[in-house]
Amino acid sequence: MFEPVILAQILWTGVANSSYIVLLTVAFALTLKVLKLFNFAQAAVMATAFYAMFFAYGTLHLPPWLGIAFGLLAAGVVTAAVEIYGFRVLRRRRSSSLTVFIFTLVISELLAHVFALCFGTEPSTLFPSIVSPVRLIGGLAISDWDLGAVATTAVLLIFLVSFVRFTKSGQALIAVADNAELAELYGIDVKRSYMLTLLVACLFVVAGMYLYGTRSGVIPETSLDLLLSAVIATILGGIGNVYRAAGAAVFVALVQSFSILFIASRWQGVLTFAVLFVTILLFPEGLKLPKMRFFRLTPSVRPSMNAIASPAAAPSNEP
Amino acid sequence: MEYILNIVILVGLYVILSSSFNLIIGHGGLISIAHPIFYAIGAYCSALLSINFHVPPVLGILAGAVLAMLVSAAVALPSLRISGDYLLIASIGFQLGLLQLIEQLDFTGGPGGIGNIPGLIDGPQRSLVFAGIVTVIAVFVVLLIRALMNGDYGRAVRAMRDDELAFSMLGRRAMKIKLGIFAFGSGLAGLAGGLYAHYYQYVSPEQFGILQSSMILTMVVVGGMSSTLGPVIGAGLLVILPELIAFLNLPPSVMAPVQGILFTGLVLVFMFARPQGIIGASTKRRGGLAEAGQESGR
Repeated sequence: MFEPVILAQILWTGVANSSYIVLLTVAFALTLKVLKLFNFAQAAVMATAFYAMFFAYGTLHLPPWLGIAFGLLAAGVVTAAVEIYGFRVLRRRRSSSLTVFIFTLVISELLAHVFALCFGTEPSTLFPSIVSPVRLIGGLAISDWDLGAVATTAVLLIFLVSFVRFTKSGQALIAVADNAELAELYGIDVKRSYMLTLLVACLFVVAGMYLYGTRSGVIPETSLDLLLSAVIATILGGIGNVYRAAGAAVFVALVQSFSILFIASRWQGVLTFAVLFVTILLFPEGLKLPKMRFFRLTPSVRPSMNAIASPAAAPSNEP
Repeated sequence: MEYILNIVILVGLYVILSSSFNLIIGHGGLISIAHPIFYAIGAYCSALLSINFHVPPVLGILAGAVLAMLVSAAVALPSLRISGDYLLIASIGFQLGLLQLIEQLDFTGGPGGIGNIPGLIDGPQRSLVFAGIVTVIAVFVVLLIRALMNGDYGRAVRAMRDDELAFSMLGRRAMKIKLGIFAFGSGLAGLAGGLYAHYYQYVSPEQFGILQSSMILTMVVVGGMSSTLGPVIGAGLLVILPELIAFLNLPPSVMAPVQGILFTGLVLVFMFARPQGIIGASTKRRGGLAEAGQESGR
């Protein structure tokens, strides 16, 4: 059971399976970092992305790249609508964190009901077959899906790092994440930065749902379940740090993968929520690891959803 | 007639649930959405005691309420050290984790739940008598909470909610107050759970998930948070309105989503058109929840 090849296989499968959770976690953590809110409406964007692609492939018979573009467009429209007609109004009203939370949860449920009405509640996959060709490399079974998933995740993470480090818009996101009021004084369009953040997060969401939808069946409520994994990883990584959250997503996936060596797979769900509960109680600031100074999106002090009303109110220890 | 009595019973149960939840979230300002798990604890405890140990349903319901209270106190002790967003997420973790556990355990019936739970009342007038009992309990709960919140204890709770630091500086123990209202509110949810189990005679984990949280939360918000009558109005409205859709005779695959769309759509309309809730204005006049005033867009 503990032979190196088996452990290596579990490790690889865990890493590959973590890909879509990493993407969804980055989307969630990035929004939390810049907009200072726990965006459960991401589940609505996730469901929209999946069902738009499902419609594009199943009904319109579009090629894969065009289906992804269609999903991106639909998810982008929902993202923009949530920001313009939801978050901006709540921000203007200085709504409490509870109100924002209810809004994000309700909008996700609303779209889940809409998709249940349009597409039913049977599990659907993006393509009729979810079987992916497998090759043996060094005794490890590696599927094309695994390679595609890991490569997509790596490319998108590199894109995010490059975007944040080397573009003006990316730098603006850092400034807004640190102190929105000060950023505005320096001429940064905060509203635009918020929208841009949500759209970048949307890109990660579409990629994550494409990967998930080509691997597993999706029902309208799936997105909320998947999002909870992203929430767990975000908290475990230390709220406010996008890259550590991504690392935590891999960690959680590996814990789940390796747990099959010790406990029955049916307990994995309990384990996941136990990790969430214990993490929040014992490590509300996340697990402390050495700082990775390579990346610019380093953690500030923990943000609060209350800060949606006045993002500048969230203090920062960012240099 | 049976249909109407069913609705009356559901409204009564949701009045207990939403009023007790309002005690925690509205009056106490404790942002937890795990209320349905205490509803579940009451329901499962009462059902299991009745089925496995032949405990009379009345005692089972009381035991369920006490267990919900004890579990909530045990959870609250470590959880209430954190607050705001963290408490919210911790409550989700606790609720979904415990539901997962219930789904995996054999003695709780797994995902299929427990059926054939002994009824609290048998006979042809069962629904009528049960509707009467639930209504009396619901009214009692509302009046009890009203009395509690209008007294010295209520003032202390509001003071703690509005400024915990100042409250502590006066030598009062905020944790004690938090623990008290959390356990009391959760105990009432457990009571509602026991009543539910012995009327519908079937419980399953999916009845106590995040959708249930959202529903109870919505009742409180739509009715008017931190007011006594708000959750009562919210519960009535949000149970009855979706039921009206049933008269359209739509197929079940369409009915459920349409009810859901109506329900969530209504929440959004209220959230943006009248964020203080239906009877929030009276709360504001009495100097209640400051948020009601803030969110009315003044």
